[in-house]
Amino acid sequence: MDWFVVTSALALAAMYGLLGIGISLTWSSIGMLNLAHGFTFAAAGYGAWWASKNLMSAPTSGTDALIVALAGILTGVVGGLVVGLVAFLPLHDRPNFPIRSLIATLAISLAGTQIFLLTFGPLNKPLPKIFDPVGKALDMRKFEIGPIEMTWDRAGSIVAATLLCVLVLVWVRMSRRGIQMRAMMQNPEGAALVGVSVRSTGMMVMGICGGMAGLAAVLLSSTFFVNPAAGVQPLAKGLVIALLGGLGSVPGAVIAAILVGFTEALTAKYFGTTTTLFAQYVLVFLVLAVRPRGIGGLLDEVRA
Amino acid sequence: MSLLEIKGLSAGYGPLRVLHDLDLTIERGERVGLVGLNGHGKSTLLQAIVGLTGWQSGSILLDGVEIGGTRMHGSGRATPKIVRRGVALAPQGDAIFPGLTVQQNLDSGAFTARAWRERRRRRERVLEIFPALGQLLGQSVGTLSGGERRMVSLGRAFMGDPRVFLVDEPSLGLAPKISRSVVEALGRIDIGDGAMIIAEQDLGLIQGRVDRTLGMHAGELKQDIGDALLVGHAQTHPHGTQG
Amino acid sequence: MSSAEQVARERERQALVGRRRLLPRVPARADRTLHRRRWPLSKTTVLHLGGRYNPKTLGRERLITEKAPLWWFTFLSLALVVPLLAGTDKMLTIASTFAIYASINLMWMLVMGTAGIFSLASLAITGIGAYATCWLTINADLPWPLMFPVGAVVGLFVGVIIAIPARRMDGMYYALLTLGIAEVCRAYALQAKWIGAQSQGSLSGGGGFIPEDIRFTQTGQRIGYAAAFVLLLAALAVYRAVNGQRLGLLLRASQKEDEAVSESMGIDFQRARLAVFLISSAGLGVIGAFYAGYFRAASLSLFGVDLLLLLFAMIVIGGLGRAEGAVIGTLLVTIVDRYFVDFGAKRFLFIGLLMLASVLFTRGGAFGLRDQWRELRARRRSQRRAARTSRHGAVSPEEAPEIADKAQIYQRRFDHNQRAHLKSLITDDLIAEHRRNPTGLHSEELERVMLYFRKAELAGKYCVYAVKPFAKYRIVALSGLPGVPPRVVDDRVYPTVDEAYHAVFLRRVNDLRSS
Repeated sequence: MDWFVVTSALALAAMYGLLGIGISLTWSSIGMLNLAHGFTFAAAGYGAWWASKNLMSAPTSGTDALIVALAGILTGVVGGLVVGLVAFLPLHDRPNFPIRSLIATLAISLAGTQIFLLTFGPLNKPLPKIFDPVGKALDMRKFEIGPIEMTWDRAGSIVAATLLCVLVLVWVRMSRRGIQMRAMMQNPEGAALVGVSVRSTGMMVMGICGGMAGLAAVLLSSTFFVNPAAGVQPLAKGLVIALLGGLGSVPGAVIAAILVGFTEALTAKYFGTTTTLFAQYVLVFLVLAVRPRGIGGLLDEVRA
Repeated sequence: MSLLEIKGLSAGYGPLRVLHDLDLTIERGERVGLVGLNGHGKSTLLQAIVGLTGWQSGSILLDGVEIGGTRMHGSGRATPKIVRRGVALAPQGDAIFPGLTVQQNLDSGAFTARAWRERRRRRERVLEIFPALGQLLGQSVGTLSGGERRMVSLGRAFMGDPRVFLVDEPSLGLAPKISRSVVEALGRIDIGDGAMIIAEQDLGLIQGRVDRTLGMHAGELKQDIGDALLVGHAQTHPHGTQG
Repeated sequence: MSSAEQVARERERQALVGRRRLLPRVPARADRTLHRRRWPLSKTTVLHLGGRYNPKTLGRERLITEKAPLWWFTFLSLALVVPLLAGTDKMLTIASTFAIYASINLMWMLVMGTAGIFSLASLAITGIGAYATCWLTINADLPWPLMFPVGAVVGLFVGVIIAIPARRMDGMYYALLTLGIAEVCRAYALQAKWIGAQSQGSLSGGGGFIPEDIRFTQTGQRIGYAAAFVLLLAALAVYRAVNGQRLGLLLRASQKEDEAVSESMGIDFQRARLAVFLISSAGLGVIGAFYAGYFRAASLSLFGVDLLLLLFAMIVIGGLGRAEGAVIGTLLVTIVDRYFVDFGAKRFLFIGLLMLASVLFTRGGAFGLRDQWRELRARRRSQRRAARTSRHGAVSPEEAPEIADKAQIYQRRFDHNQRAHLKSLITDDLIAEHRRNPTGLHSEELERVMLYFRKAELAGKYCVYAVKPFAKYRIVALSGLPGVPPRVVDDRVYPTVDEAYHAVFLRRVNDLRSS
């Protein structure tokens, strides 16, 4: 077994999971397919980059890394709220909301890319690796658990992303707000009758999903770069996962994220990076041909 | 000041106007029956009070605070606010959450932060009124029978400890025996200085269980119809029209 | 009457309030009364004509009641003539691009609007058609006229494959899946050996219908545009034939009502959908062949998300679901995209904002704006008038152009004045007089008031109902409709008929005072 492939697959799965769950959650709670998720992602990347440029001292310290990560997440939240403000609030009680909001989010991502291009220019912006200070503090770049050798950065990414995913999942299952969200997706009118405001709950969902995209941006952009079109690939990945997992099913999205992560790591190793997206779509075709509602649909049937 | 004062309420859906300039006053501690045929605006009146109609105009004062006003679109936007002010509607078709359990459904009636903390005590109170729900708490609502769903819907509305409790057609789609028991249970609910409005097609079902009965005809209210409605369909002979 | 019918009728009535449209007139000819020009191979008339007598001159005349064909004719002839006559190179290229894009959009609209399948694979089908035909001209010496049927077959084939999952999948799943198809094609074209990896996945040097030696001259460009225009006309014809005829009607019926309902009525909408999808796929294949023939190449951009987005923006801005919308949207966006190239990235920002605006503020894209504006104006006007009428109960003839019968206006005004006068006549003495003597001779004032009451409208008129003659009387109100019984007004019972008469009188006085 090639442990390098496994760890990189897990890292990818964790980060794609953040994106896919965001898209899935948005769809299931407010019925909007958020194609501006990539916009939020890119915005968060730029936010983190700005923070790293203006707020950081020369050698990266632990607090600085935290500031960068927080700046990214915060920009993500703001980005999500902006998308909600433009595409959700004015449209949610109009007829044909799913299609209208899809168009609106598409327009936001189209315009957003150009705005980034005009403000920040076409060049790639680097982000610091935020888990490096931890490794530096411990005076080692890598560590080993049995046969697995990992960089601090990778381990940190996996842990942070998984932690946030689990937190959000638990929160959706357990808390009052979480039950409100599920109530809203099952019967909007009933939800209104028990005092759940579709508007404020929807904005809350948008904010949370934006924050998840923000963390994903901070983690991913340290290996890749931030540029105006940085959101396109993550959006495609997120959509693939949401689709594969069955739109609206969060456990389905988790499984799908792991599947996609492994497919990507394996294809990248054996066939080269250009085939990864191709392989992922083939995977989606195969799953959807058997299960038209994705893995989530399968889970529902097993449960019933 | 009365508990609920409705003045000049008109409401409808799109180009359709269902309520015409309607006035209604509900006092504290009153149980009111709202009787009328299908399509004459009973449900629309209740929905207008919680702001769920397509459009509406006119004033609705709850304890002297305006919860109505003119609204041309945005059905349901104001509803959460109105509900938090203490109005609860158990709607036609129940509008419960099929994926949640009975307990979660009941708890959802206490979604405001303050009510959430005392949801256990309130649940006990609901179970006193609908003891049958006691054994079903862990079950998913999707698997319940019509009568049980109705109880969940009514119980959920009661969980919010409403000052104005609106019940839309408690007997709809239920077997006569079950609907009688549901209405009887409604009679057991202690409304304190709040009020309850029950919209119902079957006058006989709520007679004696309410303090007064209002008739609803073509979007207008007929005050205190008493037994007048019973002659409504008798053969009538116009006997001279000169006044 | 069901409430749906009521809603429909009310909407129709509201659409009429506040405007009388100016309709072009055609001279009426007695010898050709029954003559109608029809589109070839169909029963649809070219122009909808309505005959009438002019109310002023009393002469016979015919009105063109549907102006859309006239607009289409004007637009299409301008679109043909302007680029051909005054065209610079740039203008001709833009015009050709417009025609090709508009054709793709029309076919796409068939899938999304008529069939109601949210497919994003239309551009991919065009691309596959282009690649296949282009490759055949290079490697199999396919003559250019044969490119079109081959493209149609290829399109049909791809359509069949893509249509299989459409039956089982929900809208959004299918949309995303079809988006993936384009991506797969792009990745494949980049890899495939037969395309040639060194050319970045593009094919070039294929055959075409513009002769090679004049391709880059003005004449060549003009030939190209003329051909593209013919393609647009053909796409419009296909759109009309599918959307306006049997298939389109079937599908519209099943979308408006419940799908299960139409299925129970014997409409096999799944089959109709599939048929529309396949027709559109074949059409897209032909457009792909045209693309290959026009550019003598097939480029990777046909599978790109950017072009797909641009086309989608055109449809959205123009208005989803209407041929006019697709064409106008394409025109707008193509001009922004191709003419203002100097603005660089800013023009995509502009397109994005246009898209956002059209989805936030319009109901049916740019093309629906006119209807929306008219509706808004009509509503404003009728609100203003309602405010006035509630004050005075009357309108002036100038304010109510939609009331054809002017006598009604004067009747209303007279009624208003009369009521005002009668109100002043009603005194306590008058009421006392009626109580003393409900029937028989009255003073002049009382007689006037009662005459007015008697001629009131039947609906809602109060009358006396003898529950038990000489012992029990009640007041009822007539419904005014045959077969609908009067309703009981209150629960009071009067022992004599005279008391009941007086009670009716009091009610009417009350109503008069509060009016």
